[in-house]
Amino acid sequence: MSEEQTIQSELLGKFPCLQDKVRLQRARRVFAEAPSAQIGKVFDFAVRDMGFSILCAITGLDLGGELGVIYHLARDSGVVLNLTTAVSRDCPRLQSVVSYFPAAEIYERELIDLLGFEVQGLGPGPRYPLPDDWPAGQYPLRKDWQAPAEASLPQESEEKDV
Amino acid sequence: MSDAREFKIPIGPQHPALKEPTSFTVTLSGEKILQVGVRLGYNHRGIEKACENRSFIQSLYLIERVCGICSHSHSSCFVQAVEEIAGLQPPPRAVYIRTIVAELERIHSHLLWLGVAGHEVGFDTLLMYTWRDREIVMDLLAALTGNRVNYGMNTFGGVRRDISPEQKADILKAMDALEERTKYYISIATEETTLIKRLSGVGMLSHPDAIRLGAVGPTARASNVPRDIRKDDPYAAYDQVPFEVITNDHNDVYGRTLVRVGELMQSYKMIRHLLNNLPDGPIAVKAPRKMPAGEALSRYEAPRGENVHYVRANGSEKPERVKVRAPTLANVQAVAHMLKDRYLADLPIVVAAIDPCFSCTDRLIALSQGQSSQPGVITWAQLHDYSIQWHRKQGIDFGQLNKSFTCGELT
Amino acid sequence: MGLLQKAVQWSRIKSPWILHFNTGACNACDIEIIAALTPQYDLERFGVLLKGTPRHADVLLCSGPVTRQIKDRLLRIYEQMAEPKFVVAIGTCACSGGVFKGCYNVLAGIDSVLPVSVYVPGCPANPTAILDGVVKLLGSLESTE
Repeated sequence: MSEEQTIQSELLGKFPCLQDKVRLQRARRVFAEAPSAQIGKVFDFAVRDMGFSILCAITGLDLGGELGVIYHLARDSGVVLNLTTAVSRDCPRLQSVVSYFPAAEIYERELIDLLGFEVQGLGPGPRYPLPDDWPAGQYPLRKDWQAPAEASLPQESEEKDV
Repeated sequence: MSDAREFKIPIGPQHPALKEPTSFTVTLSGEKILQVGVRLGYNHRGIEKACENRSFIQSLYLIERVCGICSHSHSSCFVQAVEEIAGLQPPPRAVYIRTIVAELERIHSHLLWLGVAGHEVGFDTLLMYTWRDREIVMDLLAALTGNRVNYGMNTFGGVRRDISPEQKADILKAMDALEERTKYYISIATEETTLIKRLSGVGMLSHPDAIRLGAVGPTARASNVPRDIRKDDPYAAYDQVPFEVITNDHNDVYGRTLVRVGELMQSYKMIRHLLNNLPDGPIAVKAPRKMPAGEALSRYEAPRGENVHYVRANGSEKPERVKVRAPTLANVQAVAHMLKDRYLADLPIVVAAIDPCFSCTDRLIALSQGQSSQPGVITWAQLHDYSIQWHRKQGIDFGQLNKSFTCGELT
Repeated sequence: MGLLQKAVQWSRIKSPWILHFNTGACNACDIEIIAALTPQYDLERFGVLLKGTPRHADVLLCSGPVTRQIKDRLLRIYEQMAEPKFVVAIGTCACSGGVFKGCYNVLAGIDSVLPVSVYVPGCPANPTAILDGVVKLLGSLESTE
């Protein structure tokens, strides 16, 4: 069994809720989707028991009805486990993972600033990356938000010499 | 602050109603740093959002400009993700060319860093020498790609320009010249006691802390963390090129210097190997305009460390989501840690040693004595001057070198 | 123009002091500005000196498309410079916002905030173009005598 297949079977063995949700995209790339109620346990298992000791990044995204978050975890063999979950758009609450990875703080601040997540367990600290005078309630990475100046840019089909 | 008589921290001039954002907030006790807060965001341009409203190719032009020093890193990392989503396999010759440009970029970046580090400790001769050598690489890159910086070399499915036999000969000749020059820098780094003294014991980051704080690149490798994406999670042609991952256990700025000069020597060897084994064939496969729905996580070892891009496509000609995690962001936490209990005068070189991809030179630094006092602000330039003066008093003066800094004619 | 003013103008033409400021650029133009000061291009032979403080600068070399965070600092720096003072926009982003035009955190070019005397396009601006821009500025100063 390849390393990726081993990872898949370990995850499925421990978390039946991940059935059909663990995908082997290619060598060294595993994608798994966990329900938000389970993501904390799956994350903990991946980091503490499966040796995923590197947090590459945390990606937040607007899925439409919900907001998604992906924890990109890697281990020394080079395999990356991309752990996705989704939370409600009206109450997008996450638990901070800074107790596992102090460096997660800056990625979680980005989730707060750009998508409006609420991250519990993250102490006070400067915002990132938006300026202090950024208007409240404006989350640039949400799909229903548009930069005022963008509307006036010519779309590709309108350009004459490209 | 015992040196406060010579060095004034100006408070203002500032309009009381306007608060100028400071990038570093330093709490001092005398000359020693109690705590450093780092505030980022000055370079936040909204690139990720902009990609969602542009075609993949337009997004590529944006992504190349996340950082001008490692533009090919961002470009390649992004292109790799999109190619994975679209199931595109660039031809072997293209993969080799991408790797050659990647290593040329590493060389220019590390030489740039050597010069900047020299400048930060008052060793401006090193800046002039390394940046003159660096021009050899800039000329090569301009000839290969059409631009000194922001090469535009990648396209989805391959590269946009080929390497001619004449260019190959030029590059090989340049590698020989740069190897000689770099041996000289290594001798400076290992024998010039002023430089060793200045950089040793500064910016300490223990091995466990490097891992705990998620440090990447030369910063981590100088704390004996042998992580290098080119070896751990190979991409481009790296699984076909023999090379060593350079590490040491100095845990300090000196160690980071040694890692970078060591990596330069590896890059010269790698480029020779890649050129001498360059596969024949086309340089690109055709790419669609609309990318199929899918996602990919791409990693790349930029000169500064691990670069991470996540891309999601939705079947249209525009990306659904692009996420960029540049290496500097991973090292920022480590910097705050390195500066604790250290002298203010070490701040410039410690920050410079992670090779930050944000322009330090114009940032404001807030200093306060103790938690309760009002912070004043100084500029990076003022801190730079303070640092050099402070170290001169400790006997570090690059005007008086032990080793003669002449090295014969440059090619 | 009075004799004292002419003397000041003359010394400015002979030896302008420049301040380099990055308003949110990707650093490409910034390293080309520094490259312009290294031996291969040698901006200093025109008597140009890089200064660390606005109070001593005659010419502000600005790169970047001006992010929201940096706008006030840019204005403050310009205010601290003594007259006569000149702004040179280095790079396409500084000229017009470049590829970042329309991005939400960016204002689109230095002239959205400050009066610009010389525009040096390029992505990044080539060191020889930067030299050309500075020399053109000096030339325009001469012709106002």
